[in-house]
Amino acid sequence: MAELDEIIHQPLRLRIMAALNALPAGTGLEFVRLKKLTGATDGNLGAHIETLARAGYVTVDKAFVGKKPQTTVTLAGPGRAAFARHVAGLQEIIAGAAAKPPEP
Amino acid sequence: MIDSLEAARALDDIEDMTRRVRQSQIYRLSSLLMVLWGALVFAGNLVTYLTPHYADKAWLSVYVLAIGGSVVLGATEKTRRGMSSFDVRSLLAFVMLFAFGFFVETIGHFGPREMGAFWPIYFMLFYCLAGLWFGIAFTVFGLCVTVLTLIGYIFIGAAFPLWMAFVNGGGLIIGGLWMRRS
Repeated sequence: MAELDEIIHQPLRLRIMAALNALPAGTGLEFVRLKKLTGATDGNLGAHIETLARAGYVTVDKAFVGKKPQTTVTLAGPGRAAFARHVAGLQEIIAGAAAKPPEP
Repeated sequence: MIDSLEAARALDDIEDMTRRVRQSQIYRLSSLLMVLWGALVFAGNLVTYLTPHYADKAWLSVYVLAIGGSVVLGATEKTRRGMSSFDVRSLLAFVMLFAFGFFVETIGHFGPREMGAFWPIYFMLFYCLAGLWFGIAFTVFGLCVTVLTLIGYIFIGAAFPLWMAFVNGGGLIIGGLWMRRS
């Protein structure tokens, strides 16, 4: 049975997780870059990152680069595992539909 | 529970994001390399224009510094972002590109003016090709510099190296900064 993660399934959170998953482990993306890649607004992106962080899927680091504050979001180990399960679940749904005999 | 159509759409979204992140990483490193090469090429052309006698030495220095700098930048990015970039294979590729360029330059008996046009156009060919895999920005940039180089070669007289300082050197710097924003 396909196992989908309700937290990851939301479209913007799926894009955030996909973007972070494309990076090597331990490497993060700056908030500004993530915003550009996902096409989200500041508020929306912040809220969804918060949800993912509460679930333990991402870590959020705030630091100053020069005088500018910089927020970096990194995929955590449990997040990477959950994302892999979610993708496997999606693939299972597609495979299940393809294996179904055509209706008469 | 979602149906297969929604699942396929979600997988497409994931694939699209993965592609965009990789492209963004490539653009980031390329922009750093382009600014480095641009500054050095600008200097090389300026020396060629102001003191043609030192042109050979200037260009040798430009290439050594540019390739050395590229290796350092590649290694730094690999440490900071885990992105495998300018490695030994890239270095060997550069050596082969230069060897072929020097071969063409020698059998073609190019003069300084021909060399001034040949090298940028030769390198821009690879930008145009890179664009087919890594994003249209490379192709647009390569074509713009090629056209401007040819315009300079045909229409600009003794100030051709100065023209190339701005077209090739300046172009690389502007292109690199633009790519950083893409």
